[in-house]
Amino acid sequence: MRCQTGSVQPCEAILIVDDHDGFRRLARGMLEAAGFTVAEAATGAEATQAVRTVRPGLVLLDIGLPDFDGFEVARRLAAVPAGDPAPVVVLTSTREARDYGARIAASPAAGFLPKDELSGAALRRFLAREP
Amino acid sequence: MNRWLRAALIAGATAAVGCFVWSSWPPQGYVPVEISFAVVGLSFMVAGIAAWQRWPASRLGLLFTIVGYLYLVPVILGNLANPVAWTIGYPAGGIYGAALAQLGLAWPGGRMRSRFERGVIVADYAVNIAFNTAATMFWNPAFSGCNASCPANVLLIRSSRPTWNAINTVEALIGFVITGIVLTLIVRHWRSARGWSRRAMMPLLWIAPAVGAEQILTGNLFHFSATVTYALLPLVLLAGPALFVISTVRARTAGGALGTAIVDLEPGASPGRLKDALARALGDSTLQLAFRQPGGSGYLDTGGQAVDADRPDNGRAVVPIAGSDGAVLVYDEGLELEPQLVKLTAAAASMALEHARLQAEVQAQLEQVRASRARIVEAGDAERRRLERDLHDGAQQRLVMLSLALGMARDRAAGADPELEALITSAGKEAREALTELRELARGIHPAVLTETGLAGAIQALVERSPVAVTITAVPDERFPAAIEATAYFVVSEALANVAKHAMADGAQVTIRGLPGRLVIEVSDDGAGGARAEGGSGLRGLADRVASVGGVLRVDSPPGRGTRLEADLPCP
Repeated sequence: MRCQTGSVQPCEAILIVDDHDGFRRLARGMLEAAGFTVAEAATGAEATQAVRTVRPGLVLLDIGLPDFDGFEVARRLAAVPAGDPAPVVVLTSTREARDYGARIAASPAAGFLPKDELSGAALRRFLAREP
Repeated sequence: MNRWLRAALIAGATAAVGCFVWSSWPPQGYVPVEISFAVVGLSFMVAGIAAWQRWPASRLGLLFTIVGYLYLVPVILGNLANPVAWTIGYPAGGIYGAALAQLGLAWPGGRMRSRFERGVIVADYAVNIAFNTAATMFWNPAFSGCNASCPANVLLIRSSRPTWNAINTVEALIGFVITGIVLTLIVRHWRSARGWSRRAMMPLLWIAPAVGAEQILTGNLFHFSATVTYALLPLVLLAGPALFVISTVRARTAGGALGTAIVDLEPGASPGRLKDALARALGDSTLQLAFRQPGGSGYLDTGGQAVDADRPDNGRAVVPIAGSDGAVLVYDEGLELEPQLVKLTAAAASMALEHARLQAEVQAQLEQVRASRARIVEAGDAERRRLERDLHDGAQQRLVMLSLALGMARDRAAGADPELEALITSAGKEAREALTELRELARGIHPAVLTETGLAGAIQALVERSPVAVTITAVPDERFPAAIEATAYFVVSEALANVAKHAMADGAQVTIRGLPGRLVIEVSDDGAGGARAEGGSGLRGLADRVASVGGVLRVDSPPGRGTRLEADLPCP
């Protein structure tokens, strides 16, 4: 286990990548309440930048982004590791996993979490999973 | 042809033959020879009437008639035993040969082609008349052994067979030269003729020897026995009327062949094929079909050659094609003799071009309808994609946030107010169910998985949701044009829905194969069969959908032996 509840470690920082302001605000509130440090990015380009500066433990990555989609961002993050340990990337969407077929499994992301199932506990489960 | 002229010609021919029979009765010579005189003379006269009728503007009718009279009248005059009649008839006996040469040189147009040729014919007549008249002055009718019944020779100045013979020999020599020139000219006409004229000259080539043979048989150089002369000459001369008969039959045949040519022309034949068919039927290999070029005033024929339709070349004539946009036929001038045939050809060309134009129009309209149908379907697809995206970005997003907010509210209320907690939990459940229903609705409008992953993923998702066990035999991984992917998806989706609803099947199979230029979708089941493409609105709609991208839907569904549905889509 890399991250533990309550400990102040870089892996407790979460980067929310989503172009929807309302969602980012809501998610930030929820995750901060759950004890995470939260940073935000609204586009794929901002996300790749923010990963280097924030060095989050987990990136919550929306699939539908205005510049390039979440799959592409995940691919770029995996291609150029932004730190050690590399952040856990979790794809998310208002759609369900089956709407993306095999693309999720083919992506270097750790997994997929439907937006309506977002919770601190769900993210901790991803963090707890060893890569 | 003027009916008075026709009546006069008929009366003249009847009178001539009547006079001949009357003048030679009772027959003194060999009867078949006497009959041959009548037959040859009459056949030229009849050919003259018919030719006048057929080609009123041409001199050919007149020429045939003249040959007929020049042949028969001197014989009648000779039979009359009247000194004046005999003296006119005897030297005139050979003039028909000059008229025959004139007919040959004027064929087939009816006109002399040059001043030189006119001169040759004038010389032929002149030599004939001058020498025969001169010879007559030395011919004693008693030389032919008629003794007491001999008619008197009014022109006789000295009875001298050697002088008569000498004059005739000189005439024959000159006549040979003239005939040689005439035959050479005829061959030259034939060689320079093209197309219709050349074909029209063909029988003349066969007949030209008649002109020569006539000269040999009757000239005073070779002395054939009377039997040979009188047996061969009529046969040789009958070649003249045969000319007329052959050309008439040819024109008739060409007229009929035109109809056949148009009927046999395959639909949508190119103008080049039309031109070839018309040229073949008409017997004019030089026929050109030319079209006015847009903008300029020039014409191009079907071979791409420039044609001056306003001032055609020498020996060519032009007829416009009615109803066409400035198309013309350019043909051999010889055909001017057959205006009816030219009219028929232009009418046939007009019909064929009109047919081709209508066909092209229908084809273009069909293409437009096809394209617009494809556009309508594509616009529908795009609209559904947009609607799905709007739902995703809008209502779905809001419901997700509502659901998350309710979850957070519940966490805050937890423990403090159990009633409030229960209420929020129930609200959260409602929100989640609304979200699920909305997702299903959006998926029905347009499957995001198709846009996101292409056919393979979308078909996989369809199969997973099907209540019947479905095997995917093959699905290509690559992406296809959106309209093709959407059509393929709807085919499989509709087919699987039918399998679940009607087929009472245990299993089904989906195969999608990408072939060169095509995508073939096949869905088969082991159910009850009996589905009909024309029947249910589902299959009908699917067939329309498949047709919208230019594909074909086949349904094979024998009762009791399952259903096999195959969509064949063109795919670049």
